[in-house]
Parts: sequence; structure tokens; C-alpha cells
Amino acid sequence: MATGGDSNLEAGKLEFSLDVPFPSSHEALIALRSLSPDQEPRRGGISKQLSVSGSTLSVRWSADEARILRVSVSSFLDHLSLVIETMEMFGPSLLCDAAQVC
Amino acid sequence: MTVVIGFEGSANKIGVGIIRDGEVLSNPRRTYITPPGQGFMPSDTARHHRAVILTVLKEALEEAGLKPADIDCVAYTKGPGMGAPLVTVAIVARTVAQLWGKPLLGVNHCIGHIEMGRLITKASNPTVLYVSGGNTQVIAYSERRYRIFGETIDIAVGNCLDRFARVIKISNDPSPGYNIEQMAKTGTQYVELPYTVKGMDVSFSGILSYIEETVFAMLVEITERAMAHCSSQEVLIVGGVGCNLRLQEMMGVMCEERGAKLFATDDRFCIDNGAMIAQAGWEMFQSGQVTELEDSWITQR
Repeated sequence: MATGGDSNLEAGKLEFSLDVPFPSSHEALIALRSLSPDQEPRRGGISKQLSVSGSTLSVRWSADEARILRVSVSSFLDHLSLVIETMEMFGPSLLCDAAQVC
Repeated sequence: MTVVIGFEGSANKIGVGIIRDGEVLSNPRRTYITPPGQGFMPSDTARHHRAVILTVLKEALEEAGLKPADIDCVAYTKGPGMGAPLVTVAIVARTVAQLWGKPLLGVNHCIGHIEMGRLITKASNPTVLYVSGGNTQVIAYSERRYRIFGETIDIAVGNCLDRFARVIKISNDPSPGYNIEQMAKTGTQYVELPYTVKGMDVSFSGILSYIEETVFAMLVEITERAMAHCSSQEVLIVGGVGCNLRLQEMMGVMCEERGAKLFATDDRFCIDNGAMIAQAGWEMFQSGQVTELEDSWITQR
């Protein structure tokens, strides 16, 4: 869910929020630890914060320009889907169908 | 008994390999091949790796006949290499390490090549020539560290060959370097200047022979200098360019003249692969090193 961003806005910064539900906090924390270590490729003009609350992974972006924000969010969503796919294929049966290789 | 799975994807090859105490149990790999005249860009390469990595991982486990529970630790390439592909691979490695409850090992790509070379060839303490699309270094082990004695001051030799292949639009399948080598074999004329015109026709094999002879002679010279400096009697060639038989031949001549021994591996292990990362990871694990998740960020350098 994206919010328009209001009260916490720094002057001229774009804000973007994403909340991702997981089946449990265990999976949310795995996703957090897989997705947080690497720095943004483009150092200036963008920052993001990842956190877990309960079984939800939350991401908050703050960017100078819409273009930079789009690239970072798009990239993050690709990486997130990779984490989820990996969990589905190689995690314990919580996320797997009986038919898949786990 | 220690079983290590290694993930490699720093350039256009994505490989997952499993090693058990020096035995390669599986080492599947895929290469992102671009059309002639084009190099590979980071985001396209990352997309390629993303599409196949989980399949290759599954293949690695199946070929080795192992389940995740049989793995003791997860090694991956921390760097150097291209940022986007490195991140894609690191994310999968971090995720499976956590899913399976195994320690994580961030490996240096260059050390992966060296450790694999040493494992396969049984060279004990060689002067190493590491030559690939991304790296050109002469390395020796001294006082508990691998140290760089000589290197390219600009681009890697493989990059030089790849760029040349692009200019004259040689196929990138299976790799530009391989195709240069095949064409260069048919060259009979060593020319001082890289310019060959025969009437209305041009000849490129002569240019490629010239390029190979010249760049490889340069590499042999700096390797010899490092050997003299370290009083070393062994040379190990690693990295994709190390597959080149002409380079091996020229290095062999120099070694014979010095009474030294030459070691090289075949294309399974010269070219980037997952097992070499697993092997370097195994060495790290044996010495008690692990990589904490917060420190597992990738690095392009």
C-alpha cells in the first residue's frame, strides 16, 4: 500500500511505504535479513528503512526525485519476489504445497 | 565431513556447486550470452540470473543426491563483480542459509578461482596468474595472505579480447574468447601492425593471432618476474582466459626454461562456477570464519 505521505515529509522529499504480510514473524524476519544488507546502488537522493512488526515487513523510502524512487521500489519488489519464491521452493512445508520439492 | 554449497553470479555466468571435503558433487552452470557485437549489462545479467537461479539450485541438489539438511554451510560470492547480479545471487544465498539454519560464508571471487585451481591441480604453493574478463593479476601467497604482485593498470586481458570480438562481431556463444582462440588457430601470418588487407578482402585471423601473441607474451613476462621475486617453481593459471591453450603453451615454454611446473584446469573450473565458491567457503569454514547476515552486503570491488 502506498501512502501519499504528509506529516512526516521533509521539505521536498517523496515518501513511499510498503507493507508486506508474511505467514509468521519467522518468514518476515528472514525476508528482512535477506533484503537489508546491501546498500542502494545509487548513494545520493534515496534512502530506505526496513523493519518487521509481528509478521509484517515494512519498508519506508525517502527520495529526492520520482525517477530515483521508482527505480529503487521496482528493484526492491523484484528482490522481494525472489525471496518469496525461494521460500516457497526451499522452505519448510508452511509455504510449500505437498507436491513441490522442499 | 563438511558439505558446502557455493553460489556464483558475479558476471554473466550463474553457477551453484556442492563440494564435500574436496570432492565436487555437482556444479551446474548457465551463461547469459548476448548477440554478437554486444557486451552484457548489469541489469540484463541480473534478470537472467534471477530467472534461472532457483532451477540451477534445484539441479545442484538433485545431481549431488542431497537434501538441504545434508548441507553444512552456504557460501556465496561477496565480490568483486557487477552489483546487480551479485545482489540477486546473495539474496538467494542469504534466504536459503536462514531457511536451512546454516552459517553463511561471503567469499572473494578471485580466491574462489585460486582455491579451485589448487584443489584440482594439487599445486602446493604456486605463483598464480588470474586472467578473466574482469580480472588480470599475478598473485602469490606470502605471510598468510594472497598478495597481488602485478596486475593490469587498466582493463583485464579478457575484457580486451571480448571488446575486440565485439568490434568484429564474433559470436559470444559459448564465449567470445573461445571463438577468438579458434579463429586465431587458423592464422599463419604474425603481423607487426594489426592491419591486414588483401586486395578487396580483409583478413582477421592474422589480427587475432597478433593480439593473442602480444597480450599473452605480456602476461608470461609479468608472471616470470613474480616467480623470480618469490623464488617460486610453480605456476597456476586460473580464470576464463586460462582455458586458452595458446596461453598455456606459451607459459609452458617459460616454465620449462626455468625448470618450473605449470598447472591449469579445464573449462569446467577455469570459467566461473559455483563449486569454486563452495571450495573457498570450505577453507573459510575450516578456519572458523563465518559471515554474519548484517555484514553479508555485496561489493563491486
